[in-house]
Amino acid sequence: MAKKDKKSSERSTINVKNIKYLGGFLLSKMARGGAKQLRTNAEEVNKLNVFPVPDGDTGDNMRMTIESGIAAIENMDSDDLAEVMKALSHGMLLGARGNSGVILSQFFAGMAKGLESSEKADPVTFGHALELGVQQAYSSVMTPTEGTILTVAREAVEYAVARLTPKSTIRTLFADLVKEMHESLDRTPEILSVLKEAGVVDSGGAGLLYIMDGFNRVLNGEEIADDGVKYELVKQSAPTTFAFDENSEMTYGYCTELLVQLQRSKTDIENFDIDALRSFLVSIGDSVVAFKTESIVKLHVHTFTPEKVIEYCRKYGEFLTVKIENMSVQHTELGENAPDANTAAQKEENIPPAKRYGIVAVSNGPGIENLFLELGVDVIVHGGQTQNPSTNDFLEAFEKISAEHIFVFPNNGNIFMAAQQAGDLYGKAEIHVLPSKNIGTGYVAVSAANYDNPDVDAVIAEMNEAMQRVTAGYVSPSIRDADMNGVHINSGDTIGIINKEIVVSDADKMTATCKLASMLLDLPEKFMLTVFCGEDSAEDEKEKLTQYLGEKYPDAEVYFIDGGQEIYPYIFVAE
Amino acid sequence: MSNYVIFTDSGCDIKPELLKAWGVPFKSLNFRFNDSEKEYSNEDMNSSEFYAKMREGAIAKTSAVNVETFVSAFEEILKNGNDILYIGFSSGLSTTYNSARLAAQQLAEKYPERKIITVDTLAASAGQGLILKLTLDKKNEGATLEEAAAFAEDIKFKISIWFTVDDLVYLKRGGRVSPTAAFFGNMLGIKPVLRMDDEGHLIPYSKVRGRKTSISALADKYGELATNLDSGDIFISHGDCITDAQYLADLLKTRYNANVTLITDVGTVIGAHSGPGTLALFFVGKER
Repeated sequence: MAKKDKKSSERSTINVKNIKYLGGFLLSKMARGGAKQLRTNAEEVNKLNVFPVPDGDTGDNMRMTIESGIAAIENMDSDDLAEVMKALSHGMLLGARGNSGVILSQFFAGMAKGLESSEKADPVTFGHALELGVQQAYSSVMTPTEGTILTVAREAVEYAVARLTPKSTIRTLFADLVKEMHESLDRTPEILSVLKEAGVVDSGGAGLLYIMDGFNRVLNGEEIADDGVKYELVKQSAPTTFAFDENSEMTYGYCTELLVQLQRSKTDIENFDIDALRSFLVSIGDSVVAFKTESIVKLHVHTFTPEKVIEYCRKYGEFLTVKIENMSVQHTELGENAPDANTAAQKEENIPPAKRYGIVAVSNGPGIENLFLELGVDVIVHGGQTQNPSTNDFLEAFEKISAEHIFVFPNNGNIFMAAQQAGDLYGKAEIHVLPSKNIGTGYVAVSAANYDNPDVDAVIAEMNEAMQRVTAGYVSPSIRDADMNGVHINSGDTIGIINKEIVVSDADKMTATCKLASMLLDLPEKFMLTVFCGEDSAEDEKEKLTQYLGEKYPDAEVYFIDGGQEIYPYIFVAE
Repeated sequence: MSNYVIFTDSGCDIKPELLKAWGVPFKSLNFRFNDSEKEYSNEDMNSSEFYAKMREGAIAKTSAVNVETFVSAFEEILKNGNDILYIGFSSGLSTTYNSARLAAQQLAEKYPERKIITVDTLAASAGQGLILKLTLDKKNEGATLEEAAAFAEDIKFKISIWFTVDDLVYLKRGGRVSPTAAFFGNMLGIKPVLRMDDEGHLIPYSKVRGRKTSISALADKYGELATNLDSGDIFISHGDCITDAQYLADLLKTRYNANVTLITDVGTVIGAHSGPGTLALFFVGKER
């Protein structure tokens, strides 16, 4: 729909041709245009995936990041550039998802810093702000890689700034910027060989280009699809209108969390059927987590009928705690209280943290989530490869924990930066983001640490050591033909990936799976294999794999975990 | 100077044949399975059979040696004009030691000219065995009863005892270890490393991922704590996992040029609580 609007758009009546100064109103309009352009093309950006695996999400991540910024300026009525820029970049910072989203938010944060005393900006001032944006984007990455969004931003800004003359206008500045951005993007495969091999340009750079193209179009008087269609704002990051009142309809159900003390008088505690409880919860809701420790059952479910949960559990025990929250209200509050959170926190400042360590882990499979909770993880942030949580999602998770130190396991390379950014913004606990690149290494680190040890550095060292012993492997379907590392891949094949390299491809799923497992156990010093079975893995496949490994590696320790993850039918962790 | 006999109990996990060869009489702690009243001692059932039953889910219960048993056994020795040095199983894990102590008190009145000294090793399995062996060496070198007893009292706090179990469920069930928070929850693939402290209690020390890593962690402890890396007695005991015991011995040899002097079964007394897959390492260290 947006595409159509773009075509039918008419030149604005405002004369922007020769503007010398950029103010808040216009910037705000440009930003909306940028967001719309990216939204229209987000799917294109998603497809720019190095691996032939259906998990590209850069477009969505960047879109959600900028839309979170747009939400922050939506109700602003200011022509003060500094003010608008500050709100926009702060919104983006909180909504940032994925590495590209975080870099994008940092780019804008740098610009905002450069414009903090500018009610309006001439081309030179704005050019300088762009330079600061590039600087901040680079410094947000531990080891900046060229051939990515960073290069695209830097080269375009360098080019545009170099061409500034006294005759320059904001419009010529952006024209130069977008022109060079396009060319720089086309050059990314020359710099980064993985892109060339995959025949794509850098996805983050493409996302940035779409946004800046939108800025530029607005500057040129184009009305981009402003037909009253409301942006689909990400619920978690920037909701504004979810208040629950006398006219509201129940849309989200209740987040229900119970701590049940099983009673000897009511049930045989040792043989309490936790699976039956789980099945019951699944039948009346979702996001189910339930586990039993000694005689206490902890459960979490999103349901429209929390009374049924209470009734069910009462048959077996009594409640230690009951928490039932209307999730519509929850959504509203989380959105609105971002600035208030600190005030509330200040009130609580005198209360010492309840414990030494807290743990936050990102996870997207019900099995893995349960496992994490059993291992002592306090809060699960939902997300994964195709759904990167935002900085704000992490901040919300931190708020739920009262601990001196919080360990964060992003469990995905593309989530690390958002977690890190949240850590920088959070003040009530020391945040330690562990570089767990996948669910397997995260699981290993969480389970290996000895949380009794008060020495935080020792605990972190233990986790890192455990993670270093890990080599992870993924089994995934291939979505296109490709030739990589001498491996020929047909679309529809099952491929095996170790260390970002496709090492095996086979038309038969289990042949590829067994080969990959074999390659991992053949590595030196590997004695143990943990297998995370995805949502699509079948029981007979598991048996096949067990039999194969049992025969070929009788001494290896093999553990199966019902991970329930998406995309990858199997994730292997070799130690 | 009168002669003395070193006496022990089956908690030391030294096989009856070997104890006989050493000239050390002993008394056995008994066990039974939860499904029957029948009592067994180490000599009635071999350890493979025992662990096979445990793997099938049978729960074994042990019973301490009682006072009367010690009284009659000790009396035989005293009657022959010999004194006794009893090297006993940790009082932290069994009342056997206390039975021996009470028996000694009882006999002191009847045989005022004879002496019985009891040593609570505060150790178990081949750790108790190692204290026994080293004390026996002293005796053979000519130490008097008092000297040998003093030696045993001193050396017992220098015997390092480190072990790992395949499954913590047995120790938890037997109430012989109080798992800290870190040891709750899902233990899939996670192996605990435990030690015995100066009070003879089993203390979870750390947890590691994988059996091989846990065995390697035992070897690490040897490197860290052993007084002499390449000499001296090293004992290993295992609960039906001889391959792992051998793997540990090989690790010690390769890493420290250390020779394991005895590999023995974790007997039924300890095995009833620690379960199959228990692997324990004992050596003389700077401290426990």
